[in-house]
Amino acid sequence: MSGPNASPWETLSVSVQGVNKQRNQDWSAAEGRGTTEEPLILAAADGHGSAAHARSHVGARIAVDVFTACATQFTQLARPRGTDDPPSLSWLMHYAQHTLPRRLSATWREEVLRHWSRQPEEGEPALSDEEKVLLYGTTLLGAVLTPQLFAAWQLGDGELTVIGEDGTAVLPLAPVEAELGDETESLCTRAAWRLVRVHWAPIVDPARTPRLIALSTDGLSKSFASDEGFTQFMTGLDQRLDDEGTEAVSSVLPEWLARAAQHSGDDTTLAAGRRPNHRSGTDR
Amino acid sequence: MSDIPGGPMANRPVHFIWLIDRSYSMQGEKMGQLNYAIREAVPEMRSVAHDNPAAQLLLRTLTFSSTAQWHHKVPVPVDDFTWEDIQVDGMTNLGEALQLVARELQTPPMPQRALKPVLALVSDGVPTDDWKSGLAALDATPWGKKAVRVAIAIGADADRDVLQEFLGNPELQPLDANSPKKLAAAIRWASTAAVKAASQPLAGSSDALTKQPYAPPVLDDDDDDDVW
Repeated sequence: MSGPNASPWETLSVSVQGVNKQRNQDWSAAEGRGTTEEPLILAAADGHGSAAHARSHVGARIAVDVFTACATQFTQLARPRGTDDPPSLSWLMHYAQHTLPRRLSATWREEVLRHWSRQPEEGEPALSDEEKVLLYGTTLLGAVLTPQLFAAWQLGDGELTVIGEDGTAVLPLAPVEAELGDETESLCTRAAWRLVRVHWAPIVDPARTPRLIALSTDGLSKSFASDEGFTQFMTGLDQRLDDEGTEAVSSVLPEWLARAAQHSGDDTTLAAGRRPNHRSGTDR
Repeated sequence: MSDIPGGPMANRPVHFIWLIDRSYSMQGEKMGQLNYAIREAVPEMRSVAHDNPAAQLLLRTLTFSSTAQWHHKVPVPVDDFTWEDIQVDGMTNLGEALQLVARELQTPPMPQRALKPVLALVSDGVPTDDWKSGLAALDATPWGKKAVRVAIAIGADADRDVLQEFLGNPELQPLDANSPKKLAAAIRWASTAAVKAASQPLAGSSDALTKQPYAPPVLDDDDDDDVW
């Protein structure tokens, strides 16, 4: 019997453009192997895409890059160094819940303003910083997994889906009441860090490590006629990964997401990490 | 291999509701032109809907005079929608109409999974009932608060302050339609631009900066047209 972390995590990341959209305003990243040295880092961002947010495709890309950098820094903080003990879980939790969202929000804002200064809009009237930042509006979903902890962050719409060891799907960052229509919270909102929802789940029993972690933009969930349909998609995805492997599923995922985008009308993105050996033990 | 897991997929509905004043003051050319303008706008609504295949445009019409009543109560897909002329009658009970709409914008009967509804109010007069209570009821519903609202003021006697309050956003103005041509242009704009606006994502619903109004058209003055 092998332990749950014997095989490294596998990642997949696919994004398709929405029907009639001029460009894909989503961006995503999936990297790492879920080990101490190479933590699993997932991110997905959904630029708002309307005329009021004309640079949201850039905003989404910057959001993913900034999250990846912040998450890498966070996992380095969590690692033991030499003979020193790693920081306590309570310290890390405070960092995850307060420091990281502030850093994320502030760095994203700095980066989009830097992008504006590099590529200003010729002939436009002078814009305030708030007006510039608004142009880059985007949501953000991010997750980190190491052998010791799993944490995730969300600002705005989209879904974090976690398939547990028993195959049950949960959406730990789902809001109590979903936004109606297409309005969403955003990184371009003032004090956006206050709006970040955080999922904190230290891994106290390695056997109960999740077996699939998926981030998806709302183009996917809104394509289904019901919330249950989306959850069934995620459990079905998990099953197909089990049965057919990550490579085979990665090859058909663009087709699935394109079908979803036809119904939601939105760019549709999925970034996921999968633990391939979760059947270790009695059920294999 | 390519069978998609998960439940059935479906497009999201956009519920578009006309609220039409059919009080006696609309008698004659105003109502005739309004019926004509809406009938003529239906093909353009279909065109907008076809350009946005991920949304399912559903239409209803509510009229108000001495009472408010549904002209089309069941939401009709735009491809099946045909305009039936409205006849004038009675007073201007806008409040009752807003109460009726508010009932329809509760969840249920409105689904959670939908795009923002569109409420298009057309009036030429001053409400004769407690319109403020009706507006409060509308604003108290989750979808009523989110709705894209447009208002068309027909003629010089229309109460623009009431229409402005209905819009609920100081950046938006009622559209003045003082002649048949302007009415046709206003109806065309309300029919299409508002549907497009309903399906656009906007960040931070509480952030005033993001509440960019969908720009109403500039309606040229025309000398050879009757003025109401």
